[in-house]
Formats: sequence, structure tokens, C-alpha cells
Amino acid sequence: MFKAIVSAETLTSALDSISVLVDECKIHLEEDGLEIRAVDPANVGMVDLSLDAAAFESYEADGGLIGVDLSRLEDIAGMAESGQLIQFELDEETRKLHIQIDGLEYTLALIDPDSIRQEPDIPELDLPAEVVLEGKDVNRSVTAADMVSDHIALGVDDGDESFYVDAEGDTDDVHLELTEADLIDLQAGPAHSLFSLDYLKDMNKAIPSNTEVTLHLGEEFPVKIYFGFAEGQGQVTYMLAPRIQSD
Amino acid sequence: MEFATFADRAATIEAESADLEIVAHVRDLLAEAGDDLPIVARFVQGRVFPAWDSTTLDIGPNTCYDAIARAAGTNVDADDVEDRLAERGEIGAVAASYDFGGQQGLGAFMGGGGAGAGGAGGDNDDHNNGGTGNNNTGNLTVREVNDTLTDLAAAEGSGSQDRKVDLLFGLFNRCSNDEARYLARLVLSEMRIGVGEGTVRDAIAEAFDVPQEPVERALQVSNDYGQVAETAREDGVSGLDEIDLEIGRPVQAMLAQAGTVTDALEEWDEAAVEWKYDGARIQLHYDPADPGDPDGDNKGETHVFSRNMEAVTDALPEVVEFANEHLDSPVILDGEVVAIDDDGSPLPFQEVLKRFRRKHDVAKAREDVSVRPVFFDCLHADGDDLLDEPLVERHDQLESVLAAERQQEPEEIDGFSLLWVTDDPDEIEAVDADALEAGHEGIMLKNPDSTYSPGRRGKNWQKRKPDVETLDCVVTGAEWGEGRRATFLGTFELSVRDGDDLETVGKVATGITDEKLEELTELLEPHIVAEDGTAVELEPAVVFEVGYEEIQTSPTYSSGYALRFPRFLGVRYDKDTEGADTLERLEMLRDE
Repeated sequence: MFKAIVSAETLTSALDSISVLVDECKIHLEEDGLEIRAVDPANVGMVDLSLDAAAFESYEADGGLIGVDLSRLEDIAGMAESGQLIQFELDEETRKLHIQIDGLEYTLALIDPDSIRQEPDIPELDLPAEVVLEGKDVNRSVTAADMVSDHIALGVDDGDESFYVDAEGDTDDVHLELTEADLIDLQAGPAHSLFSLDYLKDMNKAIPSNTEVTLHLGEEFPVKIYFGFAEGQGQVTYMLAPRIQSD
Repeated sequence: MEFATFADRAATIEAESADLEIVAHVRDLLAEAGDDLPIVARFVQGRVFPAWDSTTLDIGPNTCYDAIARAAGTNVDADDVEDRLAERGEIGAVAASYDFGGQQGLGAFMGGGGAGAGGAGGDNDDHNNGGTGNNNTGNLTVREVNDTLTDLAAAEGSGSQDRKVDLLFGLFNRCSNDEARYLARLVLSEMRIGVGEGTVRDAIAEAFDVPQEPVERALQVSNDYGQVAETAREDGVSGLDEIDLEIGRPVQAMLAQAGTVTDALEEWDEAAVEWKYDGARIQLHYDPADPGDPDGDNKGETHVFSRNMEAVTDALPEVVEFANEHLDSPVILDGEVVAIDDDGSPLPFQEVLKRFRRKHDVAKAREDVSVRPVFFDCLHADGDDLLDEPLVERHDQLESVLAAERQQEPEEIDGFSLLWVTDDPDEIEAVDADALEAGHEGIMLKNPDSTYSPGRRGKNWQKRKPDVETLDCVVTGAEWGEGRRATFLGTFELSVRDGDDLETVGKVATGITDEKLEELTELLEPHIVAEDGTAVELEPAVVFEVGYEEIQTSPTYSSGYALRFPRFLGVRYDKDTEGADTLERLEMLRDE
């Protein structure tokens, strides 16, 4: 059983943060909220999302599992105007999701969850450095790096107590440094890893500029990017594997 | 089987030039393929899907370059890949020239936190970015490549090109240099290691100790090298003999060569004569609804295929309707669709092709040009394969399949192509005249006793056209125009097939309107592989039908021949480069 009402903004935020990595996903309809985990086909980027029941206007579920085509669902959510509510009801018999936005009714055919790529196990990483900063600074870092390169190094300077971004292009380089004063919080530790901007740019798209973002970093280790949405009742964690640094 | 093993064997095969040795290598490869035999039997020919399957990867060169660039390391983009291609001339060599595996997967960090996987705490330079120096490359299997490419082919809709790049990147990222070479060639259908269909046929026979003949037959009816190889291994000759035609799985069409009435009568005593329709070849597969069908809609299962075994069912609703109306038993029929105007007179071939290519708004296209099917052969009727029956008997079967009632006159049967068997040249001339009168192309001459040989262009079917022959040539080059035509490609270089190679036979620049040039430029531009000044080299992809006055010997072109006064007649959208004419045919036409 699944019946829920949610604001268009909340739904869109949730869907957008998944669709940057995959086209289809499984949604766990738990009693206390939605859970989604997905990994891109190359097993490089992963997303782990939860949206608490409290983020909904109303929410009833008993632990089902559905598979959805994300772009289809995003299109439907896009039909709602700002502030409008979207109503969901799962028909267990037909395995279709009835979606209602005021007078608009949409019956969405679900995808067999078994046909969707297996959900990833979440690596347990012990990452020594933690950086808390504003979404807009993540955005600025990614944009700056993208001007010159297709890769970005993220690191923490243990001595200076600062977070830095390096991007080396064929001709031009970018270096951006945020000191403790620019950051919301910093736990310094040995951290320097290189990442593909192809992935980070996509993840960045889903990060609101006015939100607080937590980065966990290590030496040539994946980065963990955490942020909340829907007034903290939704949580997204991205994990991105590093590139091997040559020379 | 590890993909690395496959790549290693492919390299060995590529380096070998003796046919028998190549067969021996392919034989050994098939013998050690284990559970992956069907995949390996296709991959070694550069195929991902069975030949009968219309599924395509739909990966353009640029998608492949993007994926290679992404896997190749920092700040390599698709343009760099193209530059290397211009230098090295072949995508496999380009892919092999990069060191992949720089992007780690999350899997490398599973299970172990803290230090270990990535040299944490050490300097950043203790990694080797190439070859097998990291834990990403060296563990790809043939099956994983196959499964990923199958997923990739299924991607559709908005964003599907990005998804394809993602999937392909994921594969390249796990490739060693040699694996990358053959992966790139596989995805772009450019395997070119000297393994043709005959090689695999012989290798299957040798590997699993079965005679060639049943292998050949099974391949003809199934067009599935994977299935045939597996059956040969598991069930031997008796298994192969049980592989029959299947409704829904196309077979290659039997082809005709040019011929004359005199020769035909001399050869066969009697000739079977039928109209040659100015249409496009189709193969109709029909299975009537199960009488106990719960839907009760009484509609059968219908598939229509083009001569390239491409599914064109949706584009040709008239043929589906024809099947539902006229057929009541499982059949496979061979025929043509012709375009007709409001009076029922045939329209030129180009009009039919417009319908073939149509994917959207079929109903609208149908209003503009409607088509009707005409059938001349019957390959399967009600449970019996008829490939080995003589032509005249197959034609009798066709008549009884199509006739609404027993007493119906042949002339009145819908969609039935008449056949005259005669030894009288005058009667043949009369049939020819009638065909031309009715607006068709002329006549076909067939050996009345001949069996149906799928995919063969043999002597048993001959076409006699009233005017000079035309040639279907592969376009391998072009030149950018001048002045008003500067943005258009023109002066197209034409080539014919010679085994696996293409040899030039001339250039065609006349007979093309500006409007047509624009269309051709759009069609050909994506296939540009190199440019030098205004000259452009094209990958073989597009086939032109060209007319000419005569064929002369010439040192100018690599075929040793030149077409005199070549003129452009149209694009053969229904043919791929494999369907283009051969040097052999060129020589035959010249000798006529």
C-alpha cells in the first residue's frame, strides 16, 4: 500500500538528485519515508537518498518496492505549478501509480524492479577530513574548475587549515582556497583526491546554493557529499570514486 | 571467457593471413568459449546481435569518441580522439593508444575502510595509470561486454545518447590496451580481423566435429551463428537438422543477377518467367491467432522485414492488413511492396523507400503514398519449410496460401505474382511487354527446378531489365563544392566491393539538384573521417544507385575500371555497404 501527498518542490528536488546519475531507480516505500539508492552504470558515482514521512503532507506506506522511469516522473512533476500538491496512489493489482495534480490525472506504468540495476552496497569509508560549506561555494568551485579542465582535485591543507580546489588544464590552471573563515566548519586531516568533473558537475546541479553541504575527503579516496533538502526532512548522500592521479 | 582472452585471440587472428590458419584459430577460440560460445561466435565477426535481429547499438562515431576521451584521462576530449584517428586511420589503434582505467570504481573501496586501496597517506605519484597497473582493468568478461552493450542498445528517448556514453565509458575504463582495440571496433562494427561468415561456418564444423553442410543449412535458416555454434556443440548433426525456419526470424532473401533470355533457355530448357516489380523486397511472416486466444481479436502475429532483415512492420500497415485479411495459416512469403497512385498504377521505387524509412506519422505517409504487397515465393507454409522444394512447387503452395477459395482464377488472387513456365522466347517477350505496359520494370527469369538459396546471388534467378544496368556503389569520398555550393558536398567518389575491400570506380557529380545536394550532405557529413583541403574521406556507409554508359579499363581508379558518364539515380536507403555491387559484377557487366 502506498498513498502520499507531497509538494511539487520537494518531489522535484528528490527526483533531480537521483536523475543526475541514473534513468531508472527503485523506490523503497518504507513506513517512515522513501529510500532510494542508485549507482551509475560505471559504478563510479552513487546516491543514497531518504525522504522522511514528515516531508509529506500525508504519507502511508507499508514497505513496498516500485521501479520508476525518472524522466517520466520528472515530466509529470513538471506539470505542477509552484506550491501545488501532487498526490500518489499505488494500484497493487495493475502495478500502476496514479498521480493527481488538481484536475490532472496521470497513470504511470511502473518498471519491474528486477529489471533495474542492482542497488549498490554503500562502502564504509573512514575519511579523515570533513568540510562544511555553503552550496554556492561548491557550485563556484565546480564552475571554476570546469573552465579549464575536465578534472578537479579536492583537498584539505592540514597545516593551513583550509579547503582547496585545483584544476589543471592543458594551458590554464585554477586554484581556489577557502579558509576557516569562508567555511562553516572544517575538521582538517590528510586529504587530496582527483575527481572527474563529468560526475561532479551533474551532482552539483542537484545541490541547492543556499544549503549547507558536508564533504568528507581522504587521500585518493572517494568523496562523500552530504546535504539536506525539504527543510532537513530529505537527505542526500553522494559518493564519488576518485581518478588515479598520474605522474 | 575473459574479454582479455578474446582480445588476445582476435589479435592472433588479425596477424594471420592464411585462411586455413585463421579457421584453425577461430576453431580453437570457439572450442574454449564455454558458456559464452554464442557471444564469442558473434563477437569474432564483429557482431553483437544475431544477424537476423534488427537491434542495433545505434552508436555513432562521435559517441564512441566521447566515451574513449572520458576514459582516456585528464583533459582528453573527442577532438583529440579524432585527431589521433586522422593520424592512425583506424579506431582500434586509437583506442589501444590510450591508457584507460584512470577512473576508479566504488567497488575498489568496498570492504576496507582506512588505508589500503589507494595508497592513502603516501605520495600521489605511486600509481601507474596504464595497462594493468590498477585494479580496474583486467577483469572484464565477454559476457559483461555483451550485457552492457545489450543495455546500451535498449537505451532510448531523451538523454539516451548520454546514457550510451556513460555505459561505453564504463567499459573502456576497464579495458587494457588490447581489449580497448577490439571493444572500439566491435561497437563501431569495424572488427575487420579477416573473419567472414564462411570462416565461422568452417570453424564451427571443425570445432565440434560436424560436417560443413548441416552447419551451412542451419545458418541459412537461422542467421544466428551463436545458436548454430551452441547446437553443433551440444547436439551435433541431429540438433542442427532440427533448426528450422521460425516465424518472426527473417532469412536472407535469395538474390538475382543480370541475365538474358537466350542464356536462360539454353541453360534450363524451360524458364519460369514473372514480372519484375519496381518495388522494395519484403519478407512477410504470419502466424494466425490461436483459436483459443483469450483476446479474441482474431489478429495474427505479423512481421515484415526488408531485404536487410530489418523489421519494417510498423512502417507498412498495409502489409499487416493484407496478412490479416488473406492469410489463415502460418507462412513465410517472399515478395515486394510497390507504391501505387490513386488509379492503382505503380509509382517509382523512390516512393516506396520513403515509406520504408518512415518511423513516425505512418498514417500520414500512407495518405501520401500507399503501398501494396505482391508475393512471388513461399518459404514456409503451415509447418513445412519449403526451401528445398523446386520453385514451381513453392509457387503452387503460394497460390493455395493466397487463394481465398479453391476455384479462384490465378489472375484474380490478391497479392499473387503470376508465373509462366515456357520454352518459347516469343511468349517471354510478350510477358515482358505486358510488364512494361503495366508500368513495371521488366521480367525475372528463374530456373523452374531451383531451390531457394538464402542470401545467394546465383544463376537460378536472373533479372532482365529493358535498359542498361545500374550499379549500387559505396560512397567513399566527396569534395566540398565551390561558391554557391560551398556548404555542400559534391563530386562523390564511388567504390565497389572486392572481398572486404572497397575499390574506386569513378566520381559522380551530375544529375543532382541543389536540394538533393543538401540532403546528401546531411546524410554523408556524419560519416566524414578525414578532410584534406576540399577533399573529404568518408567511411563506407551510404550506397548510391548510379547509371552509366559503359565500363572502361582505367588506371585512374583502384578497381582498374572507370564508369563512363556516371549519373546519380538515388540513394539506396534499403542497402547497407554489404549490399553494394562487387568488382566481380562490374567485370561481368563489362563483359556483356
